[in-house]
Amino acid sequence: MDRWWPDGTESGSRLWQGVIAIAFTGCVLGVAQNALIRYGSPKDGLAWRYSPPKLDSLEDIAKQTASAPAAPVMTPDMNDPLQLGAASAANGLDVPDVGRPIQVQIAKVKAFYDAKAATIVDAREPAEYAEGHIPGAINMPYDQVVTDPERLEKFDAQGKPIIVYCGGGTCELSMNLGYALVNAGQKKVLVYMGGWPEWSTSGNPVAKGQTPEGA
Amino acid sequence: MGWIPASLLHPTVRRGAQIAAGLIFLAAALPKLADLTAFAGSVHNFHLEPIVPVSAVNLLAMTIPWVELVAGLALVSGVRPRAGAFVYTALMAFFTLGVIAALARGLSFECGCFGKAGAGTIGAKKVAENLVMLAIGMIGTVDRR
Repeated sequence: MDRWWPDGTESGSRLWQGVIAIAFTGCVLGVAQNALIRYGSPKDGLAWRYSPPKLDSLEDIAKQTASAPAAPVMTPDMNDPLQLGAASAANGLDVPDVGRPIQVQIAKVKAFYDAKAATIVDAREPAEYAEGHIPGAINMPYDQVVTDPERLEKFDAQGKPIIVYCGGGTCELSMNLGYALVNAGQKKVLVYMGGWPEWSTSGNPVAKGQTPEGA
Repeated sequence: MGWIPASLLHPTVRRGAQIAAGLIFLAAALPKLADLTAFAGSVHNFHLEPIVPVSAVNLLAMTIPWVELVAGLALVSGVRPRAGAFVYTALMAFFTLGVIAALARGLSFECGCFGKAGAGTIGAKKVAENLVMLAIGMIGTVDRR
């Protein structure tokens, strides 16, 4: 190596030491810088644990959407179907059309349920549905929708908003089905992330069997 | 690496790729460092929860720009540039996968990849850009003389 410029061919342990040194130095500097400004004066910097921004109600979402209807979505919340309706405040049953599913909490679901103001859809497998579901919920397993998209197009929400739920957790099924419904032209799709586990353990009515109202 | 044309393996090309990659990372790191809060929001938009817990988003946001900065300096200055190129390639692959995964889930947001100013909504164009930048990094890691 008799060039005067570095030829960038370090290898073996020298290479991996370099890789680790770069990653480690970067992480340490980042954390150190944040610590300095976080505990410095004036206090600034990021909290050590991230907590996602939350909107209070569906009405707030509607307002934000109305103020910039055509513009690309700008704030983290509006970009974020999961955060979007971390909206649990139980005022009003109007659902804004934001072009994607909106997450709702149990209070909102209960309000819709009591008012019979929504078409409820169960995204789980038929066997799980038969063991217990929200009374009146229609079973539309996401796995079946994937192979038979016509089910989505034929789906009639009877002019009501749709609430999709499944087995809780991160609830991929509901989110996927929610998106599929939106893509199939449904305007008002809510996703209830708490799903069956939360509903059934909160003292709410349940139905068993293959039919919406129970056997 | 038989599939790479021989001309790309030339040492000068490799060093050039390393410098280009370094400049890309420096350009990406500085605006992020100027507004970490915005960058944390961007990271959150990717919804990496299955891999990274939500509460760790801020840790990623405070470390990624600094790792970019250090790797960028290594690449440009020629102090351990090949190590820098590996870090660059690994991070770029992670970013690209993040964008693809977000697109696959139907998410749509400004990527914040070069801070707020270089904002653009993620899409096929962003993926293509990232693949080009990834290729530059891979050329920078070639170890043949």
